Amino acid sequence: MNKKLKPFFLHLFIIIAVIIATYPLIRIFSVSIRPGDRIISTDLSIIPDGASFISYIKLFKETYFLRWIFNSLLITFATSFIGVSLASTAAYAFSRYRFVGKKWGLQLLLLSQMIPAGMLILPLYLMIMKLNLINTYLGMVIAYSVSSLPFSIWILKGYYDTIPHSLEEAAMVDGANELQAFYRIILPLSTPALSITFLFNFTTAWNEYLVARVVLYNPQNYTWTLGLFELQGQFITQWGMFTAGSIIITIPVLLIFLYSSKWLVSGLTLGSVKG
Amino acid sequence: MEYLFTTANVIFFVIAVLISVGLIELYFYLHFKLYDKKYYIIIPVLSLVFFGVVISFLNIYSTKILIYFAIWEMFFSYLCVRYVKGKNYLPYMLIAPAVIGLMMLLLYPFLFEIYLSFTDLKLTTIMQWKETGKLPFVGLKQYINVFKLPPLSETTFWQLFGRTLLWTFSNVFFHVLGGLLLALMLIEIKNLRGVYRMFLIIPWAMPQVVAVLSLRGEFHSEYGFVNIMIKKLIAAFPFLTQLGIGPVNWLSDHPLLTCTLINIWLGIPFMMVVILGGLQSISQSYYDAATIDGASYLQKLKYITLPLLKPVVLPAITLGTIWTFNNINIIYLVTGQAGGTERADILVSALYKAAFVYNRYSYSAAFAMIIFVILFLITTSYSKMIKVDN
Repeated sequence: MNKKLKPFFLHLFIIIAVIIATYPLIRIFSVSIRPGDRIISTDLSIIPDGASFISYIKLFKETYFLRWIFNSLLITFATSFIGVSLASTAAYAFSRYRFVGKKWGLQLLLLSQMIPAGMLILPLYLMIMKLNLINTYLGMVIAYSVSSLPFSIWILKGYYDTIPHSLEEAAMVDGANELQAFYRIILPLSTPALSITFLFNFTTAWNEYLVARVVLYNPQNYTWTLGLFELQGQFITQWGMFTAGSIIITIPVLLIFLYSSKWLVSGLTLGSVKG
Repeated sequence: MEYLFTTANVIFFVIAVLISVGLIELYFYLHFKLYDKKYYIIIPVLSLVFFGVVISFLNIYSTKILIYFAIWEMFFSYLCVRYVKGKNYLPYMLIAPAVIGLMMLLLYPFLFEIYLSFTDLKLTTIMQWKETGKLPFVGLKQYINVFKLPPLSETTFWQLFGRTLLWTFSNVFFHVLGGLLLALMLIEIKNLRGVYRMFLIIPWAMPQVVAVLSLRGEFHSEYGFVNIMIKKLIAAFPFLTQLGIGPVNWLSDHPLLTCTLINIWLGIPFMMVVILGGLQSISQSYYDAATIDGASYLQKLKYITLPLLKPVVLPAITLGTIWTFNNINIIYLVTGQAGGTERADILVSALYKAAFVYNRYSYSAAFAMIIFVILFLITTSYSKMIKVDN
């Protein structure tokens, strides 16, 4: 191909791909700022005539939107905290020590990834029901907390493996015991891996929908995923409020994700390649 | 109705989470630390009392649970006294909380699911089960029912199975193809690559619920942009109608195609990023050597790029296959509302609906076991295949 034409076509194709990738998001935004009486229309312009933020105001006034975000944040932080704290110590044991059942444990962790996602929802639901925890935060946290644990353990183990043993040996020469060497030396050094694991746990729980659907039934206790689904409605879709809510949820998530995507990918492939 | 609501309750909840993780660690620490002291017997007794207080506080007090815990306590103390001496107990202490969590919330539900699949729990017997904890044993009846009775109102097991294979294969194929094409184009672009990459991963970065629900709206036959675009195209190029192209009732006529299109859009960026990473790690010197030997672009692609991408792409394909096979989210969010169609359902989404829309609990437990076996067979044979290849 001609030397000058090639870059032109490359950029052209990529730009078409970029438009396909971003258009739905732009479209959500343009629907969210449509004026109240023209929310449902076949208009394709990005900034509609008479644009207004009426849908955003309605969203906060007429729904429990802030409440939903708060619920989601609370549940998500609790589960991520539990997940990371359990995974960080377990992964350290798997990385550094030889003990009975180590090989089996790692194999079982991999095997647990093959359990279909929907399979454990039913027994967990029945368990939560029996414990009278339906419609509570605690029930949600119980259902979520170990779901990404196996994966987190693999990621963290991979990272600990790259830290040389001599660091702990040096610490122990200086008089620290094994546990101190772990939480004074290794844990601070693993901050990048820990934050990736935290982020991974966080996004999993933050975007979760199916468990929330069966555990929570009171609109005030919804997480935002349930709330948005309800806004889409059984019969009438509240397009204005739905798109406004989507934008408010998506923008921060998008920024965090774009900022951290480089590490997230390396973490994901690290876990999978090692597996 | 029970829910934690006031500020005090929220604070209590946060503190409870922190404390409970700490307590599990403390529990093992005390056992391993004090097993050789004279007063060691206090520790199991204390933890038993404490456990009793906690479960009565949580409103789930029952003597049965307490007895189980006491048996565990005895067993565990015996282990400590008998075996810990002189050994390094630290690894066990470190994995203990994770093991307990996994046993209670992963292994126990899994075993419970197996048990459930041999019983008869449905909407009519669930209250009785909740009160008495007893379930009628029915043997393999539920497993036979999975093949005899349709899991949904009319779609049979084999239809779902075929649809799942089609869904998984077409999605993974287009994810890899699209990801590969985009990555190959991106690697050629020297400036602006970072900017393009950032825009291209937006579908992956968006929360899936938002992306799927809004795209579902965009496939609406009248107000969705897909059909609006088609109408505009036809207005501009009228000959398209003769080729059979026209506005389509996406959601009602082609639900599976709609779900597939949405999922392809969502899944390409992940593959693109993985493949781009692989491409960047291939040393330029291979290409220079090939250029000197006069290799064409396609030859380089075939003999250098693709073989060297294999170790990166194969695990990603495995992951992608499992993820796609297991993807309830997209199909449920698109078709799950009241009056939604079941012509797009794959195995896992049918499982979810069988359990929570049709409330056939034991039936869906048996169904889940069958799906688990299928997925297990697919992944193990696939990973064997990769190993043979290498």
